[in-house]
Amino acid sequence: MTAVIETSGLTKRYRRVTALSDCTISVPGGRISALVGPNGAGKTTLLRLLAGLAAPTAGQAVVLGGEPRQDPAYLAEIGFLAQEAPLYRRRTAEDHIGIGAHLNPRWDGESVRARLSRVRIPLDRPAGALSGGQRAQVALALTLAKQPGLLLLDEPLAALDPLARQRFLGALAEAAAVQGEGEAGGGLTVVLSSHLIADIERVCDHLILLAGSRVQLCGDIQTLLEEHRILTGPRKDTTVIARTHAIVREDTTARQTTLLVRLNGPVIDPAWAVDEANLEEIVLGYMSQNDPDYSTDREGTRLSAVGGDR
Amino acid sequence: MTWVTWQQYRSQAVFAAALLAALAVVLLITGLHAAAVWHSALAHCATGHSCASLAGSNLSLGSPIIASLVVATSAVPALPGLLWGAPTVASELETGTNQFAWTQSTTKLRWLAVRAGWLLLAAAVLAGAVSAIVTWWSGPYNALTADAFQVNRFDVTGIVPVGYAIFAMALGICAGTLLRRTLPALGITLAGFAAVRALTALWLRLHYMAPVTAYYKLTAPFTPPGSYLLVRNGFVSPDGKPAALDYAVPNYNGLPLPAACLHAMQHNPNPQTALSCLAAHGYQGSVTYQPASRFWAFQGIETGIFLLLAAALIGIAFWVLRRRDA
Repeated sequence: MTAVIETSGLTKRYRRVTALSDCTISVPGGRISALVGPNGAGKTTLLRLLAGLAAPTAGQAVVLGGEPRQDPAYLAEIGFLAQEAPLYRRRTAEDHIGIGAHLNPRWDGESVRARLSRVRIPLDRPAGALSGGQRAQVALALTLAKQPGLLLLDEPLAALDPLARQRFLGALAEAAAVQGEGEAGGGLTVVLSSHLIADIERVCDHLILLAGSRVQLCGDIQTLLEEHRILTGPRKDTTVIARTHAIVREDTTARQTTLLVRLNGPVIDPAWAVDEANLEEIVLGYMSQNDPDYSTDREGTRLSAVGGDR
Repeated sequence: MTWVTWQQYRSQAVFAAALLAALAVVLLITGLHAAAVWHSALAHCATGHSCASLAGSNLSLGSPIIASLVVATSAVPALPGLLWGAPTVASELETGTNQFAWTQSTTKLRWLAVRAGWLLLAAAVLAGAVSAIVTWWSGPYNALTADAFQVNRFDVTGIVPVGYAIFAMALGICAGTLLRRTLPALGITLAGFAAVRALTALWLRLHYMAPVTAYYKLTAPFTPPGSYLLVRNGFVSPDGKPAALDYAVPNYNGLPLPAACLHAMQHNPNPQTALSCLAAHGYQGSVTYQPASRFWAFQGIETGIFLLLAAALIGIAFWVLRRRDA
């Protein structure tokens, strides 16, 4: 399937701060992509650029075949859920369903009612009187009611308890599956930002990792897992390894060296024990590359940093 | 979008309508009373041929509290702009709901266009309704005291309140869009509205048209007919030089007044003595004013000024919203 999101050199600067620099990513259609990275890495900025809520300082994005923009036809294809799921505090879920019905050419209000009654969220209570998790549920249901081709969700899991998270992700996977079965080529693509790697692993099959306003990783999760390995061995020089493979992270204690490497062929040196890396280890490995505090956190730990500029 | 706007302002609209109705009832009752008093006074004075002195008599048309309430309606045009205009964009940005509103299939510019359109109309209708009632209510008062052109009357009657209200609404929307926060936007709207209103009412309005100047003998004081707008009183020296001067204030610095008259002015509390002295030395009185007949022309000019300002502010709001990230 062709890419639904394709950006090249996407950059966003606010007065002095560079929120996103030189972001080049590609997300194939029909995927559920996890957008991860430390706070302030530029996740929200990227999502807002893709949703057409902000304009890039440089670079460009092609989303669903066009540039993200304030245009009814484009907006109709985008389901955007902002951080903290903003809703009108004094308005009920039913009011929001009405608003959506009047502002969208395609709108499935019934699906919102069904979804909310399943999780027992009252339709007639003002959003301000709902719990944070309930509000997030309402906001997600409203986002899905647009029946968009692309869902952009900014930390939709943050406000949810574990059970609600499970339901939320279940609903998401279900929506993706249902829409994927729909009209030819009408599959749902999702980009969701989150800090919860365990949850991401359950539903996502694509990963975008931002750190220090730059893209560190972008690709199929299965492929990323296959490409990365944890090497453990006695404390020794790593230049030989570095000649063939890319060392993402190096942890050195008095006796032992642990490496996260991106493989470029088999590891030949038998001194290294080679283990598969899980998603969390990969994500943390890349995130720590850009964390200036990391090297001082633990004594005896050295950071093999190719760190990105802030 | 219209439906959405109505849904969000429904309760405020009902509240405003209720307040308007209450004001209408109060002014209807007191207005009918004032009209009755005025007509019976007219009938009474006609029999005694004393209607000319009616203005000088201390005829009371009603409670001064209600009269103050009517003067206070000069605040009405500011209210929709403050309460609905300033928060319209700012509160969305503050709560982040703009991210919900502007990612439905409606662009932010269309969102603002429909919303601003209805709000401007609502402000105009509200101010127009209050002004219509107040204009009717003021009839007997204007007839008695000929004050239609005075600041407290001109500003609450006719069509100017509609212009003020549209301006205040545009200012509120623009300030809210620029500042992105409701409270500062409220402050700027209030301060801006008060400043522009004061500037026009107290200074600019005097200059909409070239004023008329009348000269008169100081021994026979002259007052322009009807409800004129005073620009200034003064004297004219024998050689024809105008000497702007308020002769109620004993400050004649720099004026080429005869020494004898200055002495009389400073030491004789009776202004008549000084005036006689000035007249004897060939001085004339002058009054510069805008005639009563220009009332509606001035109403039109002032309304036009406020509408132009409003258009510029709305333009700025759209420009800012278009250029800036949501």
